[in-house]
Amino acid sequence: MNTKFRINLISISLSLISTLLIVFVFLLILNKNPFEIFSVIFTEVFASGYGIGQTLFKATPLIICGCGLAVCFHASLFNIGAEGQLNAGSFVIALVALKAGSLPFPILFILCIVCGFVVSGITGIIPAYIKIKKGVSEVITTIMLNFIILALVNYFLVDFFAVKATMHTEKIADSNMLMKFSDIFPFFEGSSLNMSFVIALLLAFASYIFIYKTKFGYKLRAAGFNETASRYIGININKVILLSFFTGAGITSLAGINYIFGYKGFYEMGFSSNVGFTAIAVALLARNNPLGIIFSSLLFAVLDYGGLSVNQLVPKEIMLVVQGIIILSILAVDRIVKSYFEKRGIA
Amino acid sequence: MHCLKMTAVEFINITKKFGSFFANRDISFSVEKNTVHCILGENGAGKTTLMKILFGMYRQDSGSLKISGEDIRFNSPHDAIAKGIGMVHQHFMLIDDFTVMENIILGNEITKGIRIDFDKTAGILNELISTYSLNLDINKKISEISISAQQKTEILKLLFRNSDILIFDEPTAVLSPAETDEFFKIIGKFKSSGKTIIFITHKLNEVRKISDKVSVLRRGMLVYESSNENRNLDLNILSQAIVGETVVKANTEKADIVFPGNDGRNAISLRNIFLKKDNVSRLKGLNLDLYKGEIHGICGVEGNGQNEIIDIITGLETEFEGEFSNPGCSISLVPDDRLKKGMISEFTIGENIILKKKSSNFISERLLDRISTETAEKYDVRVSDIKSNLSSLSGGNQQKVIFARETELESDVMIFSHPTRGVDINATVFIHSKIIEQRNKGKAVLLISSDLDELFALSDKISVIYNGAIAGTFGSEELSNFRNEELIRKSDESTGSPLSDKIGKLMIGIKTE
Repeated sequence: MNTKFRINLISISLSLISTLLIVFVFLLILNKNPFEIFSVIFTEVFASGYGIGQTLFKATPLIICGCGLAVCFHASLFNIGAEGQLNAGSFVIALVALKAGSLPFPILFILCIVCGFVVSGITGIIPAYIKIKKGVSEVITTIMLNFIILALVNYFLVDFFAVKATMHTEKIADSNMLMKFSDIFPFFEGSSLNMSFVIALLLAFASYIFIYKTKFGYKLRAAGFNETASRYIGININKVILLSFFTGAGITSLAGINYIFGYKGFYEMGFSSNVGFTAIAVALLARNNPLGIIFSSLLFAVLDYGGLSVNQLVPKEIMLVVQGIIILSILAVDRIVKSYFEKRGIA
Repeated sequence: MHCLKMTAVEFINITKKFGSFFANRDISFSVEKNTVHCILGENGAGKTTLMKILFGMYRQDSGSLKISGEDIRFNSPHDAIAKGIGMVHQHFMLIDDFTVMENIILGNEITKGIRIDFDKTAGILNELISTYSLNLDINKKISEISISAQQKTEILKLLFRNSDILIFDEPTAVLSPAETDEFFKIIGKFKSSGKTIIFITHKLNEVRKISDKVSVLRRGMLVYESSNENRNLDLNILSQAIVGETVVKANTEKADIVFPGNDGRNAISLRNIFLKKDNVSRLKGLNLDLYKGEIHGICGVEGNGQNEIIDIITGLETEFEGEFSNPGCSISLVPDDRLKKGMISEFTIGENIILKKKSSNFISERLLDRISTETAEKYDVRVSDIKSNLSSLSGGNQQKVIFARETELESDVMIFSHPTRGVDINATVFIHSKIIEQRNKGKAVLLISSDLDELFALSDKISVIYNGAIAGTFGSEELSNFRNEELIRKSDESTGSPLSDKIGKLMIGIKTE
């Protein structure tokens, strides 16, 4: 575990450094001063409470969604359907919050989470079931389910639940909103950072324990590493596939509470702005370790918010380019580092 | 200076180790030009490793290789191909969406300007096809043709590259009997056109049909070589060479056990079991009983139904006909292929064991370390760092971990499948003593092996499996007689024991009496 951890750390740092170098050269080619751009990002993100708050706010749904995906990925289930799964769950969370708005807040909140979790979980069970019964790769089914689920949510939203001429539900009662950080710490003045971030951190710890410290977590990872051996060892593979898909997809629904309970107070079409896909990269960067996901989410949030802040100097899409380079260099560097250590018989 | 027999390939003291395990140990023999040379041996005996060395895929740790008398050191298969060596692997290396022709010329295209000269290529290929009667349509896609046609494609690839030394790694494993006959005819044509054929197999009856010479490998060592002149190979001698006739008695002296109530405590019973998989009959009316306090050895050439028995007893296979009864016995299995079926290489000792061990739902690092340490001590697992993954352990130590996991469960039925394959002598001794221990504890033990020594040393009863059914069973009396004879026979090695003779014949489907 320790040497593995060290090798992972080396590999991740090297890939981040190489990303930085590539971006540096890239900016030079665009005839921009990379130092200027990096320093703008740095000051915008870290020099004000608002910047830090916004960055943490943007990291919140990534952490939550990344943890959900990590559960699936550890079982070698490549769930590409988080975007659909989290929208289904979030939509239900918003509806429950509206319909049961008169309940005392803690009960309401827990009820919302449970409902969202179950609905998202069910959308995860569909690809799991098809995989078990027909052996269809979950990659295909989850990608396709994204379209189906988003279209269905859109239909129910527009035809039954949306406020007229908008793409969002009604707003939940102000008294049911989560506390903002700026209410307690004036330092974060103006930022949308709210208690969802704390929930995300707790979730990351819970996911870590679930994956690495429980019996089911071990079985899930065993099945991910070696399915045949796991079957002979007596692990019920179908149960692992169903449960990890249910749990993983269920967790992604909680990404919605940041927006619904912490920010706007309603569900809005497209609110997730591809968090479900970005979270794939977030989870991979962290080697599917939920504690690492906290950090990789922060990195992606910095890129996201930093991109906005340098928009006047370079198009903010450059940050998408950076995200792409990170993913590519992780894949490339990881192979190089691993084979380096393997040749020396360390790994 | 024309020698009557020219040497095509000469292996000189080839040794190849994987970790501490000898895959090939000091192997020396030569393959003569224009012959069919069979290399026999069980899975894991080192045949494929040796061929991969010849084909430049592995490099030997020590020893040398001569091709046509010339010292050779290959860095990659490219070098081997350039020297006229070609290999048809067990798993074909073909691109499904390409045609036969496209697959064959890939990397060796005949060009006209920048274009590939398909007409000329087709001419050459069709000529080769008719010369060797390959009966193959070069314009069909690989995905559209049968397995045997795919194999012919691989063969044609070698011919196209002008290979003189052709290596076939278990080529008949994927062929039906009729296709096998056709394949042998093609081999015959190769020989008459002056090529050298190296043929790897573990099927004995095929060897007699086509081979000029036979070398047998066992546990990485060359244990038998047929003489040049003797074309009438004795299958019994070969089968005993493959599975081992020389009894290496380790410290597995079997204690007489006191088992209370010896009156037939049936644990598992299989009655008239039929099983079809992918339309091939794997089990054909198999009967087998396991009793508590007894080691029931199953002897046979691999692929005769051993794995299917395991799958049925462990409950992984349910689509069979016949009667399977288990009066509530718990079952443990040490599988034949530990990397694929037995363990999670990415997990530590403790993590591998906790997967089956009863424990609370939350698992602490401390608990895992304690399990690892205790296991390492009790089962003599040599490991430098208790937190290291199983992948960094030697084969023998990995096997001990699997043993620990399965025996600590104290299941009523223990299945050991090739428990000492790829395991060094010391670990073998240890594992054998543990198997005896399980029996002495009153467990019903099923021991599947292709190693006759192992079976004779440990079993209370030996059944020979052939073609999906039990061909014969030998009880404790016959076995103890055999053991006594063995002690006397030691001084006079020229005669084979009647029992091992009988078993050897049953293994290849010959019924005596």
